Amino acid sequence: MITFERVTKRYADGTVAVDALDLEVPAGKTMVLVGPSGCGKTTSLRMINRLVEPTEGRILVDGRDALRQDPVKLRRGIGYVIQQTGLFPHRTIEDNVATVPLLLGARRAAARGRARELLELVGLDPALGRRYPRQLSGGQQQRVGVARALAADPPVLLMDEPFSAVDPVVRASLQDELIRLQTELRKTVVLVTHDVEEAIKVGDQVALYRPHGTLAQVGEPEDLLGAPADDYVRDFVGFDRGIRRLSFFGTGDLDLDTSPVLAGDATVADAVSTGAPWVLVTADGGRPTGWVPRHRLDAAGSATALRDLAADHCEHTFTAGTDSLRAALDAAVLSPAGQAVAVDGAGKTAGVLGYEQIRAAIAARAADGARGKDR
Amino acid sequence: MSFFSWAWGWISNGANWRGPGDIPQQILAHLEYSGLALLIAVVVAVPLGVALGHSGRGSAVVTNLANAARAIPTLGLLILLTVLAGFSPLAWLLPLVVLGIPPVLVNAYEGVAGVDPDVKDAARGAGMTTRQQILRVEVPCAMPLILTGLRTSAVFVVATATIAAYVGLGGLGRFIVDGLASSQYGPVAGGALLVVGLAIAVLILFSVLSRVLVPAGLRGSERSE
Repeated sequence: MITFERVTKRYADGTVAVDALDLEVPAGKTMVLVGPSGCGKTTSLRMINRLVEPTEGRILVDGRDALRQDPVKLRRGIGYVIQQTGLFPHRTIEDNVATVPLLLGARRAAARGRARELLELVGLDPALGRRYPRQLSGGQQQRVGVARALAADPPVLLMDEPFSAVDPVVRASLQDELIRLQTELRKTVVLVTHDVEEAIKVGDQVALYRPHGTLAQVGEPEDLLGAPADDYVRDFVGFDRGIRRLSFFGTGDLDLDTSPVLAGDATVADAVSTGAPWVLVTADGGRPTGWVPRHRLDAAGSATALRDLAADHCEHTFTAGTDSLRAALDAAVLSPAGQAVAVDGAGKTAGVLGYEQIRAAIAARAADGARGKDR
Repeated sequence: MSFFSWAWGWISNGANWRGPGDIPQQILAHLEYSGLALLIAVVVAVPLGVALGHSGRGSAVVTNLANAARAIPTLGLLILLTVLAGFSPLAWLLPLVVLGIPPVLVNAYEGVAGVDPDVKDAARGAGMTTRQQILRVEVPCAMPLILTGLRTSAVFVVATATIAAYVGLGGLGRFIVDGLASSQYGPVAGGALLVVGLAIAVLILFSVLSRVLVPAGLRGSERSE
């Protein structure tokens, strides 16, 4: 656990970077510090491992006052990841990862063995260990940066805009990787970003800064989206916060409609008898193959098998139970029938969901402040 | 006769390679003077440049010091020191050291000050002591520039060590000074050519040295992807 007690950083010229900050980072959770540039979020992070010295206040790391410890020892016990990776260009990947264990006196062979394990843990081929940083892509380098921070198995991990310098696709995969690692390792993570999407995606808790080093709101991501403290928070989290909030609403117990779902060997007559304006055709095994509108049914002979009318592929589906309502709404918007196709984990059609059911589900979940994060 | 034929006629004369004060002896003496001057320059300038580079301050100090040192005429200093101190080692050594310091100092400073700030931050954040940050990260990263400074200094010093002959010492300057005094153009041209050859040999030596001393990750040749 990390606790800030009325921590202030004032520079010699009088600029206040962080102003009487009180903040608690629960053990084993990810706390994201987010805010506009110059708001003091990075300064706050760097005061934890004393790369910046606070002017006033106390910072407790696992109950011990950071300011009363030897900064060198303190830093060896805290993992540190930065934006442009800061990998040592003259050392191999393996030796980069082994940095802190070697500083702590580990034998080189043991430290390198551990480094290879860590490369695997962060999703890299251990064979890359013999290469040099500049021979790796930006995304790979960032993974190495994370492995290096984890090498001595510190309980606390500080990440300063770790994913800002890579392209959006790589960024998303690194974020997923961090979430996966966190479920496995349960470190106390403090992550700084200026990207509210990232904060909401990876944070268990989000601390939103105002300019000049004070906090606007601290809470779970869905609290920031669902109950912003004021206009500043509302503006900062963005205009589509309503849609984004749907990411936190589950799809486990929806009333799925199965009446317009028909197998491929059913006939047009069967489809017409459902009375539905669109029917969903499935293949053997229940995989959805496509929507057929009523006017095409009317134009075909009543004995025609539905498989001859449907395409062979239905792109936009969501997985009931694991995907969020945001995915369900997305699938409905993209569907020609205006209905989302729900599949189970095996890809078998579970039913369909119209706008009206989605609206009802949103209302119900918003009302009981639904939990059930889809992680 | 041209410069090269004077030089070659003298160098290829076997008599000049035997006996007291022959070519091999003077080459050794020349290298000895140059080596000593360079060593002192390195001992003074590398730690100073690295320390100032690490602190990130003193950029003005380094620039002014280096420019001032460069402005001192080597031969003028030699004559001044001879007048003041007589024919002491100081008279020829100090001018060569003063000549050798600026390139080493400036490059060591620039090399260390110019290490990627993220790399420095990571070294500090990983819990390295100041000494470890300097020796394990900053100096290795600055090694290409440090070696460039050394090479430049070495060439300057080797090319200028002929001045030792003005104060009665040996080295390749001996042939030039004595040749001029006795109007023999063979040793003048030959000695000059040997100095050039020695300077080129020093360049080659440093390119070999940089292969050994520059960490593999910093060499430009094996960039992939």
